[in-house]
Amino acid sequence: MSYHDMEMRAVYGLTLCELMEHDKNVLCLEADLSKASGTNPAVCTAFPENFINVGVAEANMIGLAAGLAREGKIPFCASFTCFASRRVYDQITISVAYANTNVKIVGTAPGITQGPNGGTHMDFLDLAIMRAMPNMHVYSPCDVYELRAVMKYMATHYQPTYMQLLRPKMPVVFNESFTFDPNKATKISEGSDVTIVTTGYTTHLAVNAVEQLKKEGIKAEHLHYSSIKPFDEDLLIQSAKKTGCVVTVENQTIIGGLGGAVCEVLSEKLPVKVKRLGIQDAFGEVATEQYLLNKHGFNVEHIINACKDMIKCK
Amino acid sequence: MNTMSTEQLEQRAKEFRYVITDMICRAGSGHLGGSLSLVEIVTTLYYRIMNIKPENPAWEDRDRLVLSKGHAGPVLYVVLAYLGFFPKSWLKTLNQNGTNLPSHVDHNKTPGIDMTAGSLGQGLSCACGMAYAAKLNKKSYNVFCIIGDGESNEGQIWEAAMFAGHNKLDNLIVICDYNKMQIDGKTDEVVTLEPLADKWRAFNFEVFEMDGHNWDDIYSTINKAITVKGKPAMIIAHTIKGKGNAEVENKVASHNIKINNQSDYDKYMKGLGYTMTLPY
Repeated sequence: MSYHDMEMRAVYGLTLCELMEHDKNVLCLEADLSKASGTNPAVCTAFPENFINVGVAEANMIGLAAGLAREGKIPFCASFTCFASRRVYDQITISVAYANTNVKIVGTAPGITQGPNGGTHMDFLDLAIMRAMPNMHVYSPCDVYELRAVMKYMATHYQPTYMQLLRPKMPVVFNESFTFDPNKATKISEGSDVTIVTTGYTTHLAVNAVEQLKKEGIKAEHLHYSSIKPFDEDLLIQSAKKTGCVVTVENQTIIGGLGGAVCEVLSEKLPVKVKRLGIQDAFGEVATEQYLLNKHGFNVEHIINACKDMIKCK
Repeated sequence: MNTMSTEQLEQRAKEFRYVITDMICRAGSGHLGGSLSLVEIVTTLYYRIMNIKPENPAWEDRDRLVLSKGHAGPVLYVVLAYLGFFPKSWLKTLNQNGTNLPSHVDHNKTPGIDMTAGSLGQGLSCACGMAYAAKLNKKSYNVFCIIGDGESNEGQIWEAAMFAGHNKLDNLIVICDYNKMQIDGKTDEVVTLEPLADKWRAFNFEVFEMDGHNWDDIYSTINKAITVKGKPAMIIAHTIKGKGNAEVENKVASHNIKINNQSDYDKYMKGLGYTMTLPY
């Protein structure tokens, strides 16, 4: 089976095994959600020594990871985004970011992809709160190839990091040759009428929107940010200078995440109009992804309409 | 490992108490009570038990100490300075702008600090990680972790305890500084920890109790804890908050004292009942 046909979580497990093959210090930490993360049975059977299940104890998982990292280990700690970020925010702040320990935190099933578990588990804040933390890098890969590149980078660079992990099969945007540099965003399509900025889950939606806009003669420039922090300011500024308007789309609250990062940069360096699509300061609920996309206003049609509106405003 | 006699250690502890009181008073405020309750324990660990190299704080085979009750930094700083991890002149910089000795321990600032701590409850998890790593790396070092009694209110302590027991981390020795007081009052009145020993036994620890101010008891109990096989060890150290300084001894208010003027300084120094020459 090629990576094209695999679930993201399966690729996460498989890639962890590859990383462990190269470096025995790479560890997989789980808090009773190993099947959900894609590491059980893949990692726990292939590398039982490198697999630690702490039970339903996320705070301990983060502290444990910090201690392991102090001894040269490279722990990847996974849980649903709500438990991997907001539940353990102080543990990550002090034992990982402040202490500068080489811990990799993986938040699975971000945003609306947490559908069946509903409002208690649906976290729209993780990009914003993790981005606000000094010393943290924050990544959100959109497909299997980007995920693999990001994970390889994480395993080979000393850097406290938070990564969102989409679990299902995702439309493929990149290919095997994709290389990851946290300081560089990727221009997926070139255009001059409007800039669309996406990360993670929303990138494939924007790819679709760009194609449809093209049919209507609208040239959208699509920038994909693998890394929300550090944030490639130059590419955004270059693009906004050319197009004069920006639409951001994220599977998160519009407060403080990708849209927030874009607005921070542009308001200081190149004030242009920005429309932020995403969750408009609301909690989630049990529902399908399509229902939530429609309800919260960031499906393909919403992106197309937002682009047209922004062009009119220029 | 040092070979000081009990009399020499006693003298050293007296000096440490003097310096700790002075450091905190100079800083204008600080956690005096919980530092003084640990003087004999930390001194015994570093002078008589732990395998360390002050000239090489990151020596990979050293024994580790995680001061999970990170606010007791001053007691660790004074011991590390006297052992030569850093100059004694640093001690007078406690909490000063730009210092390497912050009130809560920070491994990025201070040579000899094995783990940053300060947000209570987190250090024991970190110590578990270090002990687990030793097993993976087939290293024989021990990891000591000092937790507070008030800190034991934190749920994460018990998450870590469950993990250590389940994973049979017999290279982990936890010491609870049971001075029976926390910020808001006596532990029995805020939220009782009792039956404390039974709690740790229930979490699959081998439990010991000791007089945390008796040199021989501390030395022999820690050595017994080190030899435990197949499970982690908990030593409940019965201590006295503010021990050795009459102004604060056994007083809840000793948790964090404020020094506003010279007369406050004189009061706390007088509480020691002796004068010494400061090493800086």
